[in-house]
Amino acid sequence: MKIKQVLLIAAIVALIGFPLVIDNPYYIHLVETILIYAVLLFGLDIVVGYTGQVSLGHAGLFGIGSYVAGVLFMKLGMPIWVTIPAAITITALFGGLLALPALKVIGPYLAMVTLAFGTIIQILINEMSFLTEGPVGIKIPKPSIFGTVATEDQYYWIVCVLMLLSLLVVHRIMKSHLGRAFEALRDSPVACDCMGVSVYRYKVYAFVISAGFAGLAGCMYAYSEQYISPNTYVIELSILFLLAVIMGGRKSRIGAILGSFIIVMLPKLLDDIVLFRMVAVVLAVLFIILSLVSLSKKLTTVRKVSIPLAGIVGLAAFSFWLENITDWRLTIFGFMILLVVYYLQDGIVGFVRNYYAALTGKSAQAARDAQALLQIKPSGKDVIHAASDTTKGGTLLSVKSVLMQFGGLKALNNVDLTIERGTIHGLIGPNGSGKSTMMNVLTGIYVPTAGDVVYSSNSVVGKTSSEIALSGIARTFQNVQLFGEMTALENILVGLHHTFHSSLLDVSLHLPKYTNEESAARARAMGLLQFVGLESLANEEARNLPYGKQRVLEIARALALDPNLLLLDEPAAGLTAPDIKDLLVIIQKIREHGITIILIEHHMDVVMAACDKVSVLDFGQKIAEGKPAEVQADEKVIEAYLGGQSA
Amino acid sequence: MLAINNLEAGYGKVKVLHGISIQVPKGQVVTLIGSNGAGKTTTMRAVTGMIKPTAGEIKLGTTSIEGFDSYQIARLGLAHSPEGRRVFSTMTVTDNLILGAYPRLTRSRPKGDIKGDLDRALELFPRLKERRDQLAGTLSGGEQQMLAMARAIMLNPEIILLDEPSMGLAPILVDEVFRIIARLKSEGITMLLVEQFAAAALNVADYGYVLENGRITAHGPADKLKNDPAVKAAYLGGSH
Amino acid sequence: MRGVFNIKVRAQFHSLFLSLGLPMEILLQLVFSGISLGMIYAVIAFGYQLTFATSGTLNFGQGEALMLGALVGLTLADTLGINYWLMIPVVCVFGAIQGGLVELIGVRPAIKIKSEFGWIMSTIALGIIFKNVAENIWGRDDMRFPSPIDDEPIKILGANVLPMELVVIGGALAMMLLVELFNRKSIYGKAVVATANDRDAAGLMGINTGLVITFSYALSSLTAAFAGVLVAPLTLTGATMGAALGLKAFAVAIIGGLSSGMGIIVGGLILGIAETTTGFYLSTGYKDVPGLILLLLVLAIKPAGLFGKSAIKKV
Repeated sequence: MKIKQVLLIAAIVALIGFPLVIDNPYYIHLVETILIYAVLLFGLDIVVGYTGQVSLGHAGLFGIGSYVAGVLFMKLGMPIWVTIPAAITITALFGGLLALPALKVIGPYLAMVTLAFGTIIQILINEMSFLTEGPVGIKIPKPSIFGTVATEDQYYWIVCVLMLLSLLVVHRIMKSHLGRAFEALRDSPVACDCMGVSVYRYKVYAFVISAGFAGLAGCMYAYSEQYISPNTYVIELSILFLLAVIMGGRKSRIGAILGSFIIVMLPKLLDDIVLFRMVAVVLAVLFIILSLVSLSKKLTTVRKVSIPLAGIVGLAAFSFWLENITDWRLTIFGFMILLVVYYLQDGIVGFVRNYYAALTGKSAQAARDAQALLQIKPSGKDVIHAASDTTKGGTLLSVKSVLMQFGGLKALNNVDLTIERGTIHGLIGPNGSGKSTMMNVLTGIYVPTAGDVVYSSNSVVGKTSSEIALSGIARTFQNVQLFGEMTALENILVGLHHTFHSSLLDVSLHLPKYTNEESAARARAMGLLQFVGLESLANEEARNLPYGKQRVLEIARALALDPNLLLLDEPAAGLTAPDIKDLLVIIQKIREHGITIILIEHHMDVVMAACDKVSVLDFGQKIAEGKPAEVQADEKVIEAYLGGQSA
Repeated sequence: MLAINNLEAGYGKVKVLHGISIQVPKGQVVTLIGSNGAGKTTTMRAVTGMIKPTAGEIKLGTTSIEGFDSYQIARLGLAHSPEGRRVFSTMTVTDNLILGAYPRLTRSRPKGDIKGDLDRALELFPRLKERRDQLAGTLSGGEQQMLAMARAIMLNPEIILLDEPSMGLAPILVDEVFRIIARLKSEGITMLLVEQFAAAALNVADYGYVLENGRITAHGPADKLKNDPAVKAAYLGGSH
Repeated sequence: MRGVFNIKVRAQFHSLFLSLGLPMEILLQLVFSGISLGMIYAVIAFGYQLTFATSGTLNFGQGEALMLGALVGLTLADTLGINYWLMIPVVCVFGAIQGGLVELIGVRPAIKIKSEFGWIMSTIALGIIFKNVAENIWGRDDMRFPSPIDDEPIKILGANVLPMELVVIGGALAMMLLVELFNRKSIYGKAVVATANDRDAAGLMGINTGLVITFSYALSSLTAAFAGVLVAPLTLTGATMGAALGLKAFAVAIIGGLSSGMGIIVGGLILGIAETTTGFYLSTGYKDVPGLILLLLVLAIKPAGLFGKSAIKKV
């Protein structure tokens, strides 16, 4: 950790000292552009790297930032400390306007919509000459600070400061509960909603935040170039930004800076055939060496390296065949995208990290996190909060004549269910009888075709999954829905999202409100891990945990919601006998806190041991109900499970 | 006809099948029973090429098919009536049946008399005959099950895999389904029947295997297995 | 582009007509132009639907497929002097090969690694490459495509309609009908529909779904290339003609609903007419805006499209 801090300080010093050492305004301007693009990429990384959405409209947002600065200066003579906040706010607003409709749909739709948005913005800037001077463009001098116009060097330092501030803010946001929410919604949107983190809302937040950064970058760009015109902010620029994020490396600040460096230098590279040839040959040689090393260490196979090898060597050969590279810039650009998308998915940063780990067998990340972990003491307080409503007895949840129909299929056919407070209620039935459908109805994933579900005197029909989760109903999933790429601890922290009330400002400035909430949450999360016996695996990525432990982690995460009602969907599936014993202990302890439990299970021993009352479903209907022993002996139940004596 | 030897399979890090062996001799009906989560679906998926096994061998006739793609296995004569039916909902009943014969129509299998087979299938399933021009998505659960089975027969297959044909069906329809299975059996069709409904399955099968937690815990001739306490234990826990 | 060319010329005629008190004529003419433009959008959108149905992916470089078709057609018809109508099947074959290539290089690897970002970026990249290659082969200037039929406008309901516009409308409808027929009647067509319906089950039937996806991409580029040679005589042909068309056709696919054939025809008509009228009454610079705004509106209000169905989630 020490080395990292030293390197960081050295880098900052080098950055700030740069214009003092190299007095050439051309190079200063170049580095300035890299820093400005980096700010935009920090924001874009949130959308692309963390939430996994493709945005082709960030050039448009960049343009809005530039033109807010340009128009405010030209029409109203506004100084820089008005244009910067204005650019950030107005661009963020546009980002929100775009995100609200766009994020209701998934995947390629967002890409196309942002593409459309970017195109509209460019057209509007071009056409609305009364405001933007249209194709003529706007000239902007360097900003005036305290009466005097800033010099090239002085403006460079302003950009440095703003970039470092952005770096800090993004870093803090991504390490906070917001960053975890963004990652969670990419890993498992369903689980995210059911943990009280509304996927839609957070996708919009992510987009708006990234728009804010794009606006800041755009504003800085305007002063830097001293001239803006509509044909800068075209789709190709958006694609360039995406390439930068991917090539540099997602979820990484260094990756964003590296990516920015690459895309600023790329046009220079693609314009100069001699330079290009040199770089291409160097890259080819590097790659050959790398391949040989990897092959000798058995890290990869000949087949895997052959295509990228052919690609890079072919590129070098191609460059010697060409006389003039400018015409073929875009083709090379296109091939770079293809290569990066398939062979450099983690970007250069990711590639280096993985390679280092593969070579040395160590993971720098794990070492660092282990350090941080030792500093978390589980809180002395009880980690499971008792059910907030402790009136003895009474009905907590009432399912009234629920019908769930999919086309011609009645998954739930007029089902009534009454769950008493403080009890453990089992729900059993053969495959396809409607148990999981019932779970999904109770947690808002399905809206029942007819009937009502009343929880604590309020109907939950029509409420979103995150609303239901926040009102006290938590669940686990039949097919494990953990946030795979996040650690066990982080998974629970997402469940604790509801305990955070800090704003963006609290997070950015690390105000006490936020730092207290974060440490309290971490302590509580460790406590919950301890409760289920997973504290030693707190730093493991959830997807690497053994199956049985994953299931138990889901329970711990659900408990983090402070539920009154806990829905367990086949918690014993795939568990070995000793694991099942532990599970029963956990269930009992949960019940002791007054939390009501609905348990779907196939393992009859679990049902018999744990449940107070059991309801049996078959073909979407309730066929029996009562104490476990009664139900087990019921003729109808036996027939439902084992099949009749027919045929 | 179908030989599964020491099959291991799973999803990512989760191993579901820990080395199971099942033999389906030609002309026989073999059933694989077990409760939910035992690994029946995983077995089906491994055999039909939807997932690749991690170890073990699957032989269809004399050909090893482990690791093959689904369409290759189908073209070798293995027909599948999948879990949940999975009929083509936007196509008519007739079109669904014709698609069942796709390898025959496209020369991957001997063509034979497709029209004749289509008529025979509709005779075997009168409900389908009534609805031959209806869209498959509008059929009831039971009718879709009939369609899935008829579609499998249209391949003129070496073996038919039936995956939980009784799932989600009302008891009367379950009876009908098993009656049809019995009829197919009497025509000498080889079948591997995966079922949760142990009793009905063991009634119609020649031989049975009990799958529990990814392992075969019992197997034997069907009528002997019917009264085996291991079967009951696999479903309802020890106390029965 | 097309609108600029003809509308400016017509505008001059129409100020003449206006003084004679015949404004309805303008509107009708715009409507006809809008319909033919809309049908082009519909044919491209049709291509999006084809690949989306079978594979859940689409070609972000679809506009470039159209552009390549037009340019190849131009070379065949102009430089090599081949008859326009004979040239069309050749262009179609070219389009099919191009589409197959896109699927092989760009889409198949992405589907294998289940990366949505993968096929989005790679189809974009391939589009960029095609455009650049086209620029280098055919130059950066726009060229005129010789019209196969008379340029003499026909009078329909009092409005001037170019015969080529009628060919476009007819051709587009014919192409879409042909594909529909193929889907319904031939066994291979049924295999495609089955793959779109349930890919796994289709595999169980012995259908090579990977090949079906390649085929749907080939067909999709074929229709785009066909649209290219249809629209080329009405507008200027050049390496840049595809981008805007591809984007707006996507708007049509969204507006109509990604699963409804009727929807894209209606969507295409709405967009085409909206564009020609905006371009005339407002300003040609704003011509591209209504479609894009319509796209955002539809997504905000009814994301499944005007004719589309929403999907049920399963957990």
